[in-house]
Amino acid sequence: MRPYLSSFIFLLVALTLSLAIGAVFIPPAEILRALTGNPATDVIKTILWDIRLPRTVLVALTGMALGGSGAAYQGLFRNPLADPYLIGIASGAGLGAVTAMSIRWSYSFWGLMAVPLSAFAGALLTVILVYFLARVGQTTPVTNLILAGVAVSSFASALMSFLMLRSDGELRRAMSWLMGGAIQLGWMSVLAMLPYLILGLGTLIVYGHALNLMQFGDEQAQQLGLNVQRAKQIILIASSLTTAAAVAFTGIIGFIGLIVPHIMRLWFGGDYRRLIPLSILGGSTALLFSDVVARVVIAPQELPVGIVTALAGAPFFLWILRRSKTQGLW
Amino acid sequence: MFRKTLVLTLLIALLAACAPAVQTTPVVDSASTEAPATEAPATEAAAEGLTFTDGLGREVTLAAPAQRIVSLAPSNTELLFAIGAGEQVVGRDELSDYPEEAKAVESIGSAFQNLNVEMIISLQPDLVLAAEINTPEQVKQLEDAGLTVYYLNNPTTLEGLYENLEIVAQLTGREAEAAELVESLKARVAAVDEKIAPLSSRISVFYQIDSTDPAKPYTAGKGTFINLLIERAGGYNIASELDGYPQLSVEEIVAADPAFIILGDSMWGMTPEQVAARPGWENLSAVKNGNVMPFDDNLVSRPGPRLVDGLEALAKLLRPELFK
Repeated sequence: MRPYLSSFIFLLVALTLSLAIGAVFIPPAEILRALTGNPATDVIKTILWDIRLPRTVLVALTGMALGGSGAAYQGLFRNPLADPYLIGIASGAGLGAVTAMSIRWSYSFWGLMAVPLSAFAGALLTVILVYFLARVGQTTPVTNLILAGVAVSSFASALMSFLMLRSDGELRRAMSWLMGGAIQLGWMSVLAMLPYLILGLGTLIVYGHALNLMQFGDEQAQQLGLNVQRAKQIILIASSLTTAAAVAFTGIIGFIGLIVPHIMRLWFGGDYRRLIPLSILGGSTALLFSDVVARVVIAPQELPVGIVTALAGAPFFLWILRRSKTQGLW
Repeated sequence: MFRKTLVLTLLIALLAACAPAVQTTPVVDSASTEAPATEAPATEAAAEGLTFTDGLGREVTLAAPAQRIVSLAPSNTELLFAIGAGEQVVGRDELSDYPEEAKAVESIGSAFQNLNVEMIISLQPDLVLAAEINTPEQVKQLEDAGLTVYYLNNPTTLEGLYENLEIVAQLTGREAEAAELVESLKARVAAVDEKIAPLSSRISVFYQIDSTDPAKPYTAGKGTFINLLIERAGGYNIASELDGYPQLSVEEIVAADPAFIILGDSMWGMTPEQVAARPGWENLSAVKNGNVMPFDDNLVSRPGPRLVDGLEALAKLLRPELFK
């Protein structure tokens, strides 16, 4: 089946479902009518424009970020277990977010942006720290990156747990953030995320060919004409920026960055020039579906999306593992 | 390479520096002592409608007293029903279980998870009453959806509670009932104060909030209502030197040897027998004298009118001969 076409169709279905399902079911025809300025009732208009549309767009963008950077990380580290949080973004973002949550900010634009900004800063600082810890002379061997990532991650996690323990009332808020979910700040979040996503994902798409070359190993790729160090840096920066921007607004959502590239690889092959864009689309679709499930399964309450992706993702991941053993995927 | 890193670091520093000086106020719970009430929100009854400044400093305007209210916290629900505005409540959060009539109102999910905003909208409220258990993001979300939200700060003293009752009364047009309620609450508190004042000693108390780890149970310290009410009821909270909700090690409890142990976790199944069975606890005076008492934690944890019930219950527990 034509990969891009089918991916787009799935994405469209997911978008429609996400806009249609909720406390009030809005059939697709209604959605179209409301989107083109002719809503049936005021309630539908408010629900669609003020709640579902920003949420759907936010979730779709986050899925894109996670899918794309997941695929890039897997290519960069040449490791099927790589996901966007490998070198500490999750813990760094968590630490930043929890730190911000322990302060009572004013109710203003910047006050409301305090948590996402801190999460973003935390994520990036962690990646930078890991990068410099992993450097050996002029190169950054991939193994070092992973090890440094694990170490810094643990440290940041410990600090975060300590802060959470010391806090009085914000524990629940922090836990909710850490489990992942569309923490709604309306269109503000979408607009804030957009530049990073466009920049980051755009770069990753362009570096598809470089990722292909890097699958042969650093030395081989160098001999094939690729400036490996620079490519590594750029891919690392692009994926980290993308993931950090996504995580800052939606918390830590796992498994999308891990599973989606694998699925795309299974269906459409491991050519990164195709895999990255397809993982972007696929990640978006997967997260949208998960978000719908999260909204529906214990209505009127909502599950954090991170729980849904983990519950669905873990068995799937095990299945992939089994397949890769028999089929020598890696 | 160095230059690139420098540029990168500068960019990130620029990003961080972009945020202008944000006003920070320390977390209310742990830092506050029993100082007089939090800022009194301003109210003006304008000719066209009612304007308020809520606990987050936001300006809230109502054309008329609210008739369709969604309450996002159990304490708010209790406040509303207590002043006779129960019929004006069309939605409540999952945990609002008092009074009995509140359970019949439609639930909009738990404030502890993502609020079901769509459901709140479909109820078409003219006011959403939020409390400190709701996050600013939740308030923003509701605001963006076009709803009128009033964020009620938790009181830190009983005066703060009376003020909150007055605010809610103005929001719902129940000023008369609220005034009556406040008068009766003040009278009941005064009755307790009167009997406690002449006493020269205080009874030491350990209030157990959670003892999943019996070696380090959670209790309430300075800045909490539990502490305030224990003191007001003529008791001495052995954890009153600590802030917030600390864990007290069993050694400290043994050293302090409280006269009474109050089980705030009895609604979760804790019994005096279980406490007596804990190794080392049988030597405590409270256990030996049979002064380990179950207690309804909701009476002292929800910042609503039942706090006065809690005060009376505590007073009666500690000095049954004075309070029949």
